[in-house]
Amino acid sequence: MKLTNSRYGFLLNLPGLLLVVFWIFLPALLLFLASFLRYDNVRPIVFNGLENYRHLFRDRLFWVGLENIAVFCIGTTGLTSLGGLVLALVLSAIVRGGGLFRSLMIVPWAVPAVVSGIIWKWMFSPDFGVISDLLMKVGLIQTPLSIYSNPSLAMVGVIIADSWTRIPFMGIILLAALLSIPGEIHEAAKVDGAGAVNRFLYVTLPLIKGPLLVGLLITTIFSFRTIDIIMPLTAGGPGRATYVFGYYIWDQIVKSLNFGLAAAASVFLFFLTAAIAMIFVYHLRK
Amino acid sequence: MFDRFIESRTLAYALVIILTSLMMMPVYWTVVTAFKPDVETYVFPPIYFPLHPTIAPFKLLFESYPFGDYLRNSIIVAGVTTIVVTFTGMLAAYGISQYSFRGGNLTIYALLVTRIIPPLSLLLPFYLLVSWLGLVDNLLSMIIANIYLTYPFAVLIMKSFFDAFPRELIDSAIVDGCSRTGALLRIVLPVGAPGIASAAIITFLWTWNEFIYAFVFTSTSQSQPMTVGCFDAIGDVFVNWNQMCAGALIAALPGVVFVFLAQKYLIRGLTAGAMKF
Repeated sequence: MKLTNSRYGFLLNLPGLLLVVFWIFLPALLLFLASFLRYDNVRPIVFNGLENYRHLFRDRLFWVGLENIAVFCIGTTGLTSLGGLVLALVLSAIVRGGGLFRSLMIVPWAVPAVVSGIIWKWMFSPDFGVISDLLMKVGLIQTPLSIYSNPSLAMVGVIIADSWTRIPFMGIILLAALLSIPGEIHEAAKVDGAGAVNRFLYVTLPLIKGPLLVGLLITTIFSFRTIDIIMPLTAGGPGRATYVFGYYIWDQIVKSLNFGLAAAASVFLFFLTAAIAMIFVYHLRK
Repeated sequence: MFDRFIESRTLAYALVIILTSLMMMPVYWTVVTAFKPDVETYVFPPIYFPLHPTIAPFKLLFESYPFGDYLRNSIIVAGVTTIVVTFTGMLAAYGISQYSFRGGNLTIYALLVTRIIPPLSLLLPFYLLVSWLGLVDNLLSMIIANIYLTYPFAVLIMKSFFDAFPRELIDSAIVDGCSRTGALLRIVLPVGAPGIASAAIITFLWTWNEFIYAFVFTSTSQSQPMTVGCFDAIGDVFVNWNQMCAGALIAALPGVVFVFLAQKYLIRGLTAGAMKF
């Protein structure tokens, strides 16, 4: 018996579909269920209605987490887009040695996030930090910097470290977009008397809008759930200065063992991410 | 004047070198510190080139922490995940790309949606499942979790490579008596090898770099991977920074090696997989 083409295609996808059903939809279902349970590993598990959600929205820490993640997300996405765009622009302008520089540029992407956190902690070390030394040599600061123990600077330090790991990806997709623009378009604009800045604003930028939006989307939703780079750097501190929303979920699971509340917070994170993604997808489809 | 300056090749190269140096600074600092003796590590102002380079930090690292175990666990988890994901993902991508079936579009959408789901939000149910199955502190728990984390992206990458494959070639092979699976092995596989390679590399690196799930699922060095090991070592009251940098270097090594070996395919894979939104 010979299978039809469409059956054959389906059969090839069956393992993956089963995986999606069992390992993604089943946990997702379990998550929704748990968010309606009183599940704190102390008292017996009972149905709890919307009590977890009520608790969540009344919890001051939850709002602290949301505030911090907003700052972190905007900071990281902004710095990453700027860095990625500049990097892509200069890389698209060179020919010789391009491959080597591209390899060097992607390296931070390949470093595990938690390891990046460790590296940046060492670079910003208050006692032996290389960054303090460089800034002092340039004359920007007089005494060594202790960025991760300073509540008003810790967030900046975390954003710098996180952007370092994200700039390569942004750079890669923008570089691909820049290289796919035909040279004639630039020549034509030049003949028409457009200057370099104008050509960038009115020719280049509109042509890379799609990839730029994709890059922004991915950076936003990925930085939104970041905790692994923050854990070695500040562990959410000092005080609550870098206590991002992901940490709230993390603490409920690992420290408080309040699984019901963790589930409610996770469901919230899920829908918030979906909403952010929707905004971008809407603009991409336009 | 300004235009000529901003478009000059010299400026482009100058900027490339400055920016790359900035991006490489943390890597350079890690490498340098990993080969420093203690006296050169704990000084201020810091020493930029080690005066007496030594491999002592690496030796001490393996002596004072179970880094050998961490390394073994990371290799097993990343290796098995990569093989499973690449193989099943390749079949799925071939099916979606060349043999349209009812629900094919739905499958693609399902994969895209799962890309958006924050792994952190599924951590709790995954942990519950893992503990009910008795897989806590077992390598299998991380393999399962990482398959879920990497499968969608791997399929999307390979699909985009297979989509570019001319259908007529497959059809003519089938006319010549080749089966559809034979066509996959003999024609699509060799031509699509770069796509499969980039999916495999990205899967390997993501699994190798994964930390959150591994941290929650493991409790001893019997199953802890590299990332968890590094994090544990930095939790000590006194951090041995030159040893830490040696550990960071080992943890980052596969990534760096793959970047230099397969930069072109990595870039193509990442761009192809990203553009699927």
